[in-house]
Amino acid sequence: MTIDSSSPRTRTGRAWAALVTAGAFEVGYALSVNGSAGFTDLVWSLVAIGFFVLTLLFLSIALRSIDVGIGYAVWAGIGAVGAALLGPVFFDETMTPVKALWLALIIGGVVWLKLADSPALGRRAEKSGGRVSAGAASMEL
Amino acid sequence: MSWIALGIAVVFEVFVGFAAGKADGFRNLWWTIATLLGGGIATFFLSLALLTFDVGVGYAIWTSVAGVGIVIVGALFFQQRLTKQKAIGIAAVIAGVIGLNLASSV
Repeated sequence: MTIDSSSPRTRTGRAWAALVTAGAFEVGYALSVNGSAGFTDLVWSLVAIGFFVLTLLFLSIALRSIDVGIGYAVWAGIGAVGAALLGPVFFDETMTPVKALWLALIIGGVVWLKLADSPALGRRAEKSGGRVSAGAASMEL
Repeated sequence: MSWIALGIAVVFEVFVGFAAGKADGFRNLWWTIATLLGGGIATFFLSLALLTFDVGVGYAIWTSVAGVGIVIVGALFFQQRLTKQKAIGIAAVIAGVIGLNLASSV
């Protein structure tokens, strides 16, 4: 436990700002890894490494206050949706409605999966059913 | 070839999923190193896969299938519960990946 003198509300606000920032960095990471062309382009490669460190750093800051399942769900969702939307903007790629539909199912699936892994949401769901077992509060990833 | 690269990237990302937990917010030095190293290798193979895949498609498949892998490995080896809710998410990801392949040559 770390001691933080700021109010819980400010702390939560900061954590969510860090989480959204981490999501934005994750989009940058995906796009720059693509731009690196198998790490043969030096500039894109360096940018990719920068985003890689930044996205992990901000995610870890956010996860100090935000539930791990919810945090990962939002982070992964922003990253995947952002990469799908901005890929065609920055690169010679096309997005068709059919492709977008299947992508939405995949991204929705992983967001759902991360939320199902949330200790906080799990506790809320099982409140009426008695105590949460050690197994239900799944390992922090 | 691109599918093999993507598969290797997924395996390393699943490893990162568990190593990151043990790194405890970068407080455990060796697990932090393992996390960064695993993430670096995953990133390299992802970049090889993205030579063929569109970034939106390749990235979504990579991160989502890794998410599925983390849940399955957790259930098999780390006594985590595979709930009905998680099964729904896994089914959606798998259906999406198959659908995406049938719909386009990716």
